[in-house]
Amino acid sequence: MAHGATKEFKVTWGMVIDLDKCTGCGACMTACQVENNIAPMVDASNKMRTLSWMLVFELSNKKSGAEAEVAYLPRPCMQCGNPACVPVCPVIATEKNEEGGIVSQVYPRCIGCRYCMAACPYHARYFNWEDPIFPKGMEKALSPSTSARPRGVVEKCNFCHTRFMQAKDKARQDGGNPEGLADGAYMPACAEICPTGAISFGDVKNKEHKVFDLAQGKDAFRLLEKLGLNPQVYYVSKREWVRKLGDNYAATGKPGAAKKHS
Amino acid sequence: MGLDRRGFVKIVVGGVAGTLFTPVIWQSLDDVSIWSQNWPWIPRLNKGEVKAKAALSKLCPAGCAVKVKTVGGLPFAVVGNTANPMSKGGVCPVCAAGAQLMYSPARVKSPLKKVGEGKFEAIKWEDAEALLVEKLTALKGQNGKIAAINGDETGSAGEVISGLLAGLGNSGYYMMPGEKFVAEKGVKLMGGSGQPGFDIAGADLVLMIGADALDSWGTTVANQKAFAATRPTGAAATAKFVYAGPVLNHSAAVSDKFLPVPPQATAAFALGLANLLINAGAVSSASDFAEYKALAAKYTVEEVEKATGLKAESMKALVDLIKAAKSPVVIAGASFGQGAGALDFVAGASLNVLLGRVGSGMTLLPAAPKAVAGATSSDKDAASFLAEVATGKAAPGALIVYEANPAYALPQADDMAKTLGNIAFKVSFSTYMDETAALCDLILPAPHPYERFDDALNPYGVAKPTYLAGKPVVKKPVQDCKDPVDVLLGAASKLGLSLGFDTYADVIQAKAKALGADFDALAAGGIWTGEAKGGSLNLGASALAKVAVAKTDDKTLAVAPVSNQANGSATLATPPANLLTVRETELSGKDLIVQMNAATAKKAGVAEGNKVKLSAGKGELKARVHLNEGVAPGTVAVLLGFGRSAWDEFTKGKGDNVYKILTVSDEAGTGLKVWAGSTVTVAKV
Ligand code: SF4
Ligand code: SF4
Repeated sequence: MAHGATKEFKVTWGMVIDLDKCTGCGACMTACQVENNIAPMVDASNKMRTLSWMLVFELSNKKSGAEAEVAYLPRPCMQCGNPACVPVCPVIATEKNEEGGIVSQVYPRCIGCRYCMAACPYHARYFNWEDPIFPKGMEKALSPSTSARPRGVVEKCNFCHTRFMQAKDKARQDGGNPEGLADGAYMPACAEICPTGAISFGDVKNKEHKVFDLAQGKDAFRLLEKLGLNPQVYYVSKREWVRKLGDNYAATGKPGAAKKHS
Repeated sequence: MGLDRRGFVKIVVGGVAGTLFTPVIWQSLDDVSIWSQNWPWIPRLNKGEVKAKAALSKLCPAGCAVKVKTVGGLPFAVVGNTANPMSKGGVCPVCAAGAQLMYSPARVKSPLKKVGEGKFEAIKWEDAEALLVEKLTALKGQNGKIAAINGDETGSAGEVISGLLAGLGNSGYYMMPGEKFVAEKGVKLMGGSGQPGFDIAGADLVLMIGADALDSWGTTVANQKAFAATRPTGAAATAKFVYAGPVLNHSAAVSDKFLPVPPQATAAFALGLANLLINAGAVSSASDFAEYKALAAKYTVEEVEKATGLKAESMKALVDLIKAAKSPVVIAGASFGQGAGALDFVAGASLNVLLGRVGSGMTLLPAAPKAVAGATSSDKDAASFLAEVATGKAAPGALIVYEANPAYALPQADDMAKTLGNIAFKVSFSTYMDETAALCDLILPAPHPYERFDDALNPYGVAKPTYLAGKPVVKKPVQDCKDPVDVLLGAASKLGLSLGFDTYADVIQAKAKALGADFDALAAGGIWTGEAKGGSLNLGASALAKVAVAKTDDKTLAVAPVSNQANGSATLATPPANLLTVRETELSGKDLIVQMNAATAKKAGVAEGNKVKLSAGKGELKARVHLNEGVAPGTVAVLLGFGRSAWDEFTKGKGDNVYKILTVSDEAGTGLKVWAGSTVTVAKV
């Protein structure tokens, strides 16, 4: 288990995902695929090969009839405060250095050894088994924000990092403070498109951002908190069984109890 | 390159296996990896100014008001339009994939003429249009010889198509089956008229009976926004949502309560609820209240339990919720948006009457002014029409198909396709090579929504008259297409008919004007809304007296087709960018996975993972079984949208088509063909 020191950043970009609002529609997955130029795969049912930076899991309370409940859990990269993936990378292709705490992935450096994939307990990392092949002509609909990755490298969610750069640029141009972006000035594609607004995004250390309070709410929790990776993605659910499933390794044994703020 | 990057790295890494932990070698490996990543085979990104243009994205049934992001003029992404009061910045998963769909490999690239079984030849537009005119000229004036099937419920194109048919002396204008058609019939049975609407935003309790309002019923995104507004993250919810239906679907997942109700028992469930509400003191001033009360009294908790499996406590808890609500609304519909009977609608809607919510929770929309003077409306749906063709009662010589896929999306699909194939001349106006286009003699490629003018009046479900319109985002379509309405208007004039317009853009401008809306404001992403009309409804008691609960025996199961919007629709196979959203419990390789609860599986003699065959009528569907406790008893849930025989490599031949095993029956007393609640036999293979 990784119990290394968490790096402190003045700005800590984070998500708070309201699982009681997520219908599991999948728009966030599609928006992510479009934003990040992930090529469609002919057999997308082969989940060992697909690349889903954002993946919506289905959780069930395992009861039947009128007692049955399901919840959908969108899982981006948690941008862990103390990531398990970073120290295992032999070529420093993934780092947690930049202000904001986003864990980077430098494709030209990645040698595809996949140590990071094995280390990540959230299965947030994906390996390119093939080169990206877009149907003829579809490359004209590539997003200008991210280059497509070749086979042999690992990739993952980076909170739509280009949007972060653009938001900072815009703040500079408008005479604002790029290191203190206003709430909503920077939004990943999934959070922007979600039709129920289940995904809130902002600086979890900034009182002006609504995620500041949401992340400390009484029903907020993080996945597998006991592992101590200190994720920057928080979840909220009023349903106890959902919270229990989410942090079923929580040190206290009480669902949703541990809310160590990074 | 003789040696690709991966091979190269492998060799180097292999060579250094013993010295993994000396930093020096990692530094040089790092350099090697940078050096080797020249990647000439990876597609380059487009450059240019990034803009966001308003568009009406009619890829989903209701249509999303969106902004299309372009780079150097080329669309690459879709975001919500926060200024549009209907979508409020939300986008459905299909429209989210809209830009990539412009380049779908399934797009029809030019006009095509059939030259043999499954063989087409590209022809010039002028030849294609001449062929269309020639065929129509030959049949002009002979009623019954020319028919049209329209799959677009909201666009003004329907006015042009029906107007053209009327001008040619034909009345065979048919809509693809949808909720709107059935609901309007239902309203008539309740002594009213017009399209019903439902005010989800204004309700503090929303009871969805069958209708998957938070995923694929009505104006999905507007419904989701209304739902979301009542659930501020981190604070108390201000409205309750209850889903009663055959499957714990996306709507049920976020509802406060899910009540499993088999698809054939939704009317019994609603009437059982009415009985409990009346027992708890509910009264109505509707003229048929006494009759209704007597009828509802037959649906005792025991009867409801027999029909649905629901225990008395569940029903009573729901009654308490309704009693505590100030502004409840009940929405009834099929779990997959079609095939339900008018009686199912009336049973659900009667609860709104009983609760005194007509005019507020449930509204009626006034008839809208027409743009095309000769336009008519359809009194029969395409399923009933093709049934008549099959039995020789109707004998069209030419069929025009507009934005519809009847060969795939009607019950007993294979039979429907055969019937359709027997019509002498069929022309399909379609953007994609769908199952129907593949059967047609002439395929006229239609533009993608971001390449055309279009509009949407009163998408089903809106509480107030609502109108949206859009114009092309791009200067030129990706393929050699023409607007279908422009083509039809051109054909009309060659046939000596004037419908009053030269282009679809003119029709839409006239429609906007007739409504008192400003087209330019609409095309810029705006919306026009009017007021619902007044008027009351009765409880539909005399119609409801005919409700019969279809019986399933030990050998048959009720089928609950499930629609997940992300998987596409009848007129759209799963878009390439949405393939990832299909779960491993839904499709595995080429196998469709059907779901049922453990008790049902036991009764049917099947187990998790078994390969099964579901059959009904002449249709058969092959699948694997997955156990899911969120499926109502005696029911098998089958995901809609798979088993494509046309389209592209991403969808063709994957899974199976549930429409093949849906069977049509006549609804007592309404003359409607219904197929929600079809039953199937299940056999292990
Ligand atoms: S877009 Fe929103 S509602 Fe849909 S799956 Fe993603 S988080 Fe859930
Ligand atoms: S979620 Fe996984 S990939 Fe993302 S930072 Fe944490 S350990 Fe690394």
